[in-house]
Amino acid sequence: MQEPQHILEVLKEVKEAVKKEDNIKLKELSNQTVHSSSIHQDADCIMVAVIIYSLSKIIERTNYREYPGWNNFFSSFMKHINYAIIYLEKNDIDNFREELGKIRREINKLTGSFKKHIQDVFKKAEINKASRIYEHGISMEKTAKLLGISIWDLAEYAGQTGISDVNLNITLPVKKRIKLAEDIFR
Amino acid sequence: MKILIFDSSSLITLTMNGLIDLLADLKKGFNGKFLITKSVKYETIDRPLTIKKFGLAALKIKKLLDDKVLEMPESISIDEFELKEKAKEILRVTNISFSAKNEFMHIIDDGEASCLALSLILEKKKIENVIVVDERTTRMIGEKPENLKKLFESKLHTKVELKQDLSFLRNIKFIRSSELVYIAYKKGLIKLKDGNVLDTLLYATKFKGASISRQEIEEMKRL
Repeated sequence: MQEPQHILEVLKEVKEAVKKEDNIKLKELSNQTVHSSSIHQDADCIMVAVIIYSLSKIIERTNYREYPGWNNFFSSFMKHINYAIIYLEKNDIDNFREELGKIRREINKLTGSFKKHIQDVFKKAEINKASRIYEHGISMEKTAKLLGISIWDLAEYAGQTGISDVNLNITLPVKKRIKLAEDIFR
Repeated sequence: MKILIFDSSSLITLTMNGLIDLLADLKKGFNGKFLITKSVKYETIDRPLTIKKFGLAALKIKKLLDDKVLEMPESISIDEFELKEKAKEILRVTNISFSAKNEFMHIIDDGEASCLALSLILEKKKIENVIVVDERTTRMIGEKPENLKKLFESKLHTKVELKQDLSFLRNIKFIRSSELVYIAYKKGLIKLKDGNVLDTLLYATKFKGASISRQEIEEMKRL
């Protein structure tokens, strides 16, 4: 696992942000782990980024709290975050990973539309994080593989962002590229 | 003979826009072949066929392969082993090219590397070829790796070193699905009449993942 100390600090801040129901801070914290995810491409780091982003969405959508399974789900979610912090403090990476895995497994205990909503939140969080890693310069295929998502999902999402409007992306004048296309079809 | 090599990203853009059948029309007047590698076939046909959301799209691309609009490199006697080895070599070099915080970043994967490899093999055989790729990293590695370094630095807020000489990729030619639809439009292959057709076509490619900026689109429209 790369940068455990950084992940530990982020997770501690996550706890505080959850107490304040500060979903914007949670999104910021999730983005902080994207830098590390892009460089190290560490599965733990990526999983943390996805979980924090999902948490920000779950907190933002206050209507989820009306579902009967809400209390159990949310308290279990935070319990596993707490345990993950404790294990990381002890440098027990295996159990840290196990706690993060348990968060995903909590979703399987849910039923009905609440389960579908939460599954959707996690799926969209994966695509969002993939898009951020792609934005950092890692290729589309590599990024999709890192997040375990389809390149189709990533392409669709990335197209809706401003990623392609960065000037550094322009690597050949428009006229020259059109000429390449015209020449090959001549 | 001329060759167009399609990366997954460009086929995905065209399919998601309902424009994939344009390839059959473009192929009719084309003096050569449209090729996809095995890795690209996996990403655009084999894998999405197992995902309900993208199954139909994959079938449309498969039909192009069945109809020989798209073909595999074996159709021009490119040896699968040679292609695989070349792709591995490219992956090895590119993935130890950019270093941040004393760590090399793995920036591309099998499908993208296989397209670069196929282009280099064709170049060696003096066969004119162009890669159609919509994702930006592969294109940047070939055309301006220094821009990719700058992009990494601006996004990661840390110093990034370019440790390998990537000039062996510099002669590879790249276009995007955007240029392809531009050509189709200019050749009169687009049947739509009302509205600003070229504008909508170019923006459609952008919004489904082609790495083209608004500035580039507006410039293309003025040509």
